[in-house]
Amino acid sequence: MRFLGFLARRVVGIVAVMIGVSVITFAISHVIPADPAVAALGDHATADQITAFRAEYHLDRPLAEQYLTYVGGLLHGDLGRSIRTRRAVADDLADSFPATLELSFAALLAAIAVGIPSGVWSAVFRGRLPDFVVRLLALIGGSIPVFWLGLIVIGLGYYQLGWFPGGGRIDLFVDPPPTRTGLFVVDSLLTGDLTALRSSLLHLVLPALTLGYFSTALIARMTRSSMLEVLGQDYIRTARAKGLRERVVIFRHGLRNALIPTVTIIGLTFGSLLSGAVLTETIFSWPGLGRYATASAVSLDFPAVLGVTLLAAVVYPLANLAVDVAYYWLDPRTQRG
Amino acid sequence: MSIRHRSVVFAAALLVAAACAPATSPGGASATATPSASAGGAASTLVWYADVSDLISLDPAVAYEFSGVLLAHNVYETLVKFEGADLSTIKPSLAQSWDIKDSGASWDVTFKLKSGGKFASGNALSADDVVYSFQRAIKLNKSPAFLFTDIAQLKAESIKATDPSTVVVSLPKTASPQGFLSILTFTIGGIVDSKDVKAKETGGDSGSGYLLDHSSGSGPYVVDHWTKNSEVLLKSNPNYSGTKPPLGGVLVKHVPESTNQQFALERGDADLARNLGAQQIAALQGKPGVATTSGNSLQLVYVGMNVTVKPLDNVNVREALRTAVDYDGIVKDLLKGNAKKVQGIVPAGLAGYNESTPFQADVAKAQSLMKQANQDKVTLELLVPTGPAPGGVAWADLAAKLQADWAKIGVTVNIKQTTQADLLTTYRAQKGQLVMILWGPDFPDPDANVGPFTDYKAKSIAYRNGWDDKIADKGREAALITDTSKRAAAYKDITDYVLHNGPYVILYQPTEPFGLRSNVKGFVWSPMDWTDFASISK
Repeated sequence: MRFLGFLARRVVGIVAVMIGVSVITFAISHVIPADPAVAALGDHATADQITAFRAEYHLDRPLAEQYLTYVGGLLHGDLGRSIRTRRAVADDLADSFPATLELSFAALLAAIAVGIPSGVWSAVFRGRLPDFVVRLLALIGGSIPVFWLGLIVIGLGYYQLGWFPGGGRIDLFVDPPPTRTGLFVVDSLLTGDLTALRSSLLHLVLPALTLGYFSTALIARMTRSSMLEVLGQDYIRTARAKGLRERVVIFRHGLRNALIPTVTIIGLTFGSLLSGAVLTETIFSWPGLGRYATASAVSLDFPAVLGVTLLAAVVYPLANLAVDVAYYWLDPRTQRG
Repeated sequence: MSIRHRSVVFAAALLVAAACAPATSPGGASATATPSASAGGAASTLVWYADVSDLISLDPAVAYEFSGVLLAHNVYETLVKFEGADLSTIKPSLAQSWDIKDSGASWDVTFKLKSGGKFASGNALSADDVVYSFQRAIKLNKSPAFLFTDIAQLKAESIKATDPSTVVVSLPKTASPQGFLSILTFTIGGIVDSKDVKAKETGGDSGSGYLLDHSSGSGPYVVDHWTKNSEVLLKSNPNYSGTKPPLGGVLVKHVPESTNQQFALERGDADLARNLGAQQIAALQGKPGVATTSGNSLQLVYVGMNVTVKPLDNVNVREALRTAVDYDGIVKDLLKGNAKKVQGIVPAGLAGYNESTPFQADVAKAQSLMKQANQDKVTLELLVPTGPAPGGVAWADLAAKLQADWAKIGVTVNIKQTTQADLLTTYRAQKGQLVMILWGPDFPDPDANVGPFTDYKAKSIAYRNGWDDKIADKGREAALITDTSKRAAAYKDITDYVLHNGPYVILYQPTEPFGLRSNVKGFVWSPMDWTDFASISK
């Protein structure tokens, strides 16, 4: 019951965040000094066409009225119609979000799989060569621009070595798996399509590494510092004094306790992966939300920008919720309230 | 790790290994290809890499963006057409002949259709399909509809089928018959299968929901599928009445990053790449298996001079600004040759193009003109868009070049960079002083440039620069001339006049670079921003 109450409070929080985000985004997107009608219709549009466009998108109404119209649509599940693609924003998001979700999950998995062991390794070998290597790589990961990294990764992994595909979600001449979730890897598994599975996994490697490098660095550094703190605790000394094997001391007694701050970082990282995928998606021709958001922002497509922002406003708190649930499992003290 | 955990990890590893094992060269599309039945395989499919983020619809009555027009052009046939890159001579297509008759109250344009025309569905193509297609475009009233309703001044009742192979279109005497023929070469003139489209109508949408991502035409290709934000696959039309295309399919892949396009081209994954910058084109030079080429565009990059702002009202000041610019330097150094030096208001490739280029960095002459205008020190604001200009140079770099050139004749230019939408808002309101921007004609006819550049009442470019000149009357007259040689002579006079009197510094006409595999043959880029996929082989 305590857990359900906790969940209910978080859901109310998400709704509050969405309202706040919608107000702020709506206000910002409508006060920027450029005209969406001119941006959409271009140089050749007549004054009549611009007037008609404004009326169609309610741009000729007071801002408060525009907002209420928009919220009225939202309550009916209508996110509006994109100025750029002329499609329902909800349909556009449904097309592009699974691709970003898949890429972000892959990047996060890679970051966890590499980041946590590296952090542990670095802490255990503190001040020695492995520690130096991990810290150096983490420093590079934290400071390298994604766009540059992407070009290097694609230049090496695709252009020079030819080990991985250069872009897209699946090979040009391989049919995507039938849609179940929109995640190609999951859909390939569900439908038993091994050709599509192989292709979609290979296509994930380079963009996931690129997108996940920063998170890997972050997770490694956080794991290292919390491991160092934990390994200095009395109970670790006690565990060693009891004669437990070093592996058991480090992983069972050390890592589990050190993971709590790392989980926080993982949750925050997942949110930033979703929004940080813009450049990675552009470099790797990944048909995801980031590219949709960029194209929408450039063309002043405010219904689409609002849709993307609201989606992010849902995803971020959900990621935080997942972190809290993980806390609940990792740290029994939180279960006592 | 428990046995249960180990077995799960092992099973997962096995599955991934099984999935990845057969991969030999994942980089190459052909190496890993499992040819889909619809695509016809890599060998018979042209793989075209381009940024197609502008794609909104494949419907010929709706498409007005580069990518949509390119695809619709290859799926729908028009009554008349231009062949290849030549936009000076209109050729027969679905119509075997046409005739323009002055019937007193109107121009009557009569088209005789070729016999044996057939749609991809197998339905015969008749005059009723032409009437339906044109009336549908007017009814839908989407982006390109103004070409019919405003430029050609067409009404639904102006289009009639007098027999199954004859269509008569009546134009008001104020519309240009030659201009109308040019419009018909564009995708809005594409003929749709009326029986098929009527069957696909939902909620009175004239089938636009269906034609958004399907096709119903008679062209060499049909739309197989469009995966949003990813790709469009065309495959050859089995019922095409013309010569069967050498390639069974065309895969247009959305790849926005130009370096990625270059890599894919070099590795043989792409056959053609459209959005390569000067850097990528330079990198491709001398590489085995690849080649580069370029195509003309109809765009003009120019500076508008607002004559309501002093001293730009003085024709000598305007002439001095034109005279001082180093056009050759812009084309050769800034644009690395990706442009043509054009100084008239009609671009090369269109009828009415004026080859005269009298201006080239003549500082002494420009200073003398400033002196005649009693101007020695002038300060003006130059509005410039953000981002890259056509031809691959940054707008800001172009502006800096102009600033340096004009400083030599005592004209100080303050550059103000802003988004294109913001710039256009200022420009439209006649609030700019010097405005650098581009213009591309709406349809391939000199009237599409001469009208906007000369006619103040059209509220287009001449209006934005406050230039209300009597030359507009000659422009309107020239549009209505049906004799092509007389029309060309009229446009020569007009463009000569604007060259020295108008409020424009026409900087250049950009060309578009392409990278292609060496085995790709028959690629010709039309300045209409399309190519005939059916003429390409590999």
